[in-house]
Amino acid sequence: MDVFLPIAQVFVNPIEILLLSAIVGVLSGLFGVGGGFLMTPFLIFMGVPPAYAVANEANNILATSVSGSTTHYLKNTLDYKMGLMIVIGGSIGTALGIYTFTYFQDIGKIDTVISLAYMYILAIIGTLMLVESLGEIDKAKKNIVERKKLHVHYWIHGLPLRMRFPKSKLYESVFTPIIIGLAVGFIAAIMGIGGAFILVPAMIYIIKMPTRLVPGTSLFVTIFVSVIVTFLHSINYGSIDLMLVVMLVVGSIVGVQVGQKLGEQIDSSGLKALLAILLLVVGIVIAYDTFFAEDIKKEILNGTSQDLNFFSKFIKGFSEDMPFFYGLFSILFAVILGIAAAFIRRSISKFRKKYFNKTIKQSK
Amino acid sequence: MHFPNIKIPQKIKDNKTKFIKTGIISAIGACWGVILVGTFVTFN
Repeated sequence: MDVFLPIAQVFVNPIEILLLSAIVGVLSGLFGVGGGFLMTPFLIFMGVPPAYAVANEANNILATSVSGSTTHYLKNTLDYKMGLMIVIGGSIGTALGIYTFTYFQDIGKIDTVISLAYMYILAIIGTLMLVESLGEIDKAKKNIVERKKLHVHYWIHGLPLRMRFPKSKLYESVFTPIIIGLAVGFIAAIMGIGGAFILVPAMIYIIKMPTRLVPGTSLFVTIFVSVIVTFLHSINYGSIDLMLVVMLVVGSIVGVQVGQKLGEQIDSSGLKALLAILLLVVGIVIAYDTFFAEDIKKEILNGTSQDLNFFSKFIKGFSEDMPFFYGLFSILFAVILGIAAAFIRRSISKFRKKYFNKTIKQSK
Repeated sequence: MHFPNIKIPQKIKDNKTKFIKTGIISAIGACWGVILVGTFVTFN
């Protein structure tokens, strides 16, 4: 049963998309990585044009990061001041990224650029993760306990305009988080990812934030970056397809919750090598698709406006007639879904605690 | 019933780390090989 996406103009199987986004959600909940750099290539493999895959995945990331960030807000594990500094850099980076995206779109090379960016980023991350696991194998074999240096100083720590970040107990230059945000925003705008794979190591090793504040603050930054990316893609290219977004958001929110629960019960560090190999395989498939399979035309069924049902016609009309409000609506839609998911999770865990406490008391 | 000592699985057990390492290195090599050759061929 295929569904026609009115904006992306392709037929997709909704069950396949729901399943894939749920699987990617489980992986991202389990390993604490954003699912963007896996889901966008999967959407491209399913026939969604890269420019549309990037924009819609950014909207999906917005919903999942709102959900995660609300949970961290409720637990008070968020450094707003540091987050806002990164967001300032992120906004500039996003604007630069959209400008670059427009340039490559105008010369007709955007699909190649997105594919190239993905294959190199996936290969680099996969290689780094595997090299780390090689080191761990050696250490385990030789029983080496590594002594880490307490303070490593890079050029970035010598920057001027220092300010206090009381929550993280840091005295840092404002330029450090701004430069990191700039890089994250630029990559997010071109590739449709949250950028957690850059942000999290940078927060731990460069900014030196306490580890308990890192996931919440990273998600907080991702909200703003993905809002800007979604909005700019929506008003510049009209590429947000709400039908696709609904499928992606539902699948990934359920998947992330399952992944986080799984992560609490099993030790996922041993599975990291498998995730790294998966990243490399996806990188190889993208490379093959870009370089060697150009002549094989993908069987993408294009539909006409006559095939559209009422809902699809409404989405298409809304997007074309009022792109500004359509962009705002898609952002609000993702935010509401994300907050709702976080509160549902909280009430379920409260209910379970209450129920289990009662049964334990009764058994005593 | 008597089973003879099988040597091959024991060898695999002894060289487990070597096999994992070789697998990891060849996965990295395959990925970078495809990407770099593809980039080189396409842009030439």
